[in-house]
Amino acid sequence: MKIGVVDYGRAGNIYNIVNALEAAGADAGTISNADDFAQYDQLVIPGVGAFPDALEEIETRGLRGALLANIARKPTLGICLGMQILCKVGFEFVECDGLGVVDGEVRPIQCKGPVPRMGFGSIEVVRPSRLLAGVTPTDEFYFMHSYEVVNYTDVTGLTSYAEHRYVCAFETGHIFGVQFHPERSREAGIGVLKNFLHAGE
Amino acid sequence: MFPKVGKARNVTRIIAKLDIKSQYVVKPIHFEGLRKIGSPAQLSRGYYEQGADEVFYIDIVASLYERGYDLAQIQTCAKELLVPFAVGGGVRSVDDFSRLFHAGADKVVINTHALQECPDVITRAARVFGSQAVVVNVEAKRWDGWWECYSDCGRIRSGRNVLEWVKEAVERGAGEVLLQSVDHDGRRRGFDVELIGNVIGSVSVPVVAASGAGTLAHIKELLACCTPSGVAIASLLHYGVSTVGEIKSELQECA
Repeated sequence: MKIGVVDYGRAGNIYNIVNALEAAGADAGTISNADDFAQYDQLVIPGVGAFPDALEEIETRGLRGALLANIARKPTLGICLGMQILCKVGFEFVECDGLGVVDGEVRPIQCKGPVPRMGFGSIEVVRPSRLLAGVTPTDEFYFMHSYEVVNYTDVTGLTSYAEHRYVCAFETGHIFGVQFHPERSREAGIGVLKNFLHAGE
Repeated sequence: MFPKVGKARNVTRIIAKLDIKSQYVVKPIHFEGLRKIGSPAQLSRGYYEQGADEVFYIDIVASLYERGYDLAQIQTCAKELLVPFAVGGGVRSVDDFSRLFHAGADKVVINTHALQECPDVITRAARVFGSQAVVVNVEAKRWDGWWECYSDCGRIRSGRNVLEWVKEAVERGAGEVLLQSVDHDGRRRGFDVELIGNVIGSVSVPVVAASGAGTLAHIKELLACCTPSGVAIASLLHYGVSTVGEIKSELQECA
């Protein structure tokens, strides 16, 4: 199984995601144009970016068609913004259509603490999940975001921050999304990436 | 949608701060009088193993000498970590941000260029990378009744009031403040608690308090007065006074 990390231009902490996938035992590389998809069996859409700019880059690099076609048939993991752009619409800076793969919206996080949320936190697994198998209540994952996914029903994980409880993972068929950064969440994060590798077997 | 409200966690991040000059981690005193501590990659690994929640890597001479980054060295450090890695020093453009993300940064730290020449770079970077990836580094110098922003590792004045500048930076899209004190840095006599409290009160984004921890008691004193989102530690770790693990368990006991 080869894992391709989608490089959509200026944004994205691709180097760290590739390293973490390798630490999880994966054969990983990057996808920077439509032809690259053929080499990979599973996809990771990275975070660290802003919603409208990411969509624009995907469009201008001619990745959109191939990305959607590949997501439709290959196990796909969206991380942070990568999870958010799978939704149908986002509201970061301006209202902007997402890839529309899942039926969610991306809105500013509503809580009583400092935003962006920045730091480690635990997650509650609320539905049987291949991706979150083995995650315990004491495991901690790194969150670094100002926007959250709302109005989505295939939720597998919730997290709490500053008196606010919200979606941090979803799973629909072979499509997975996590709000936290498994590549920056110590061994617990590597465990989640290993689960994603197994999802392709 | 979800009836039960989970208990909110409030855990201060313990961040290892590496001040970099060429291929060394150094420790300035008052941002001057550098002392070599060790190799960035080895220290990154060591502090990660001790339990650091994050590592900040700040090239302290990049702006002054308009030097390029050592991307290979940044990659080597990033590879040692499975926690977030923030990188800064001499950042001037959206392209610089992009280069650093591609070399292993999860966040990028900016001060001099935004403060002294072009605050708009914060706005532009936030539009591309999101606010959560843009950290503004503030070097504050205390005067009678106010604090002034400095740049270039505490060498150059700006005339800007710290409390006004952090508000502007956040309005422009900065998502985190690394707050250093020119007066307290490297002296190991405690934090400028008044400065830190005022900055936290001025902005809605997380504030990382730095400069002054010489003992565990200094960190406890700080956290008794205000709630920074993180505390950046350098001397205490570099000189082996405490490990990250010791700091964390000490703070856990008083929680």
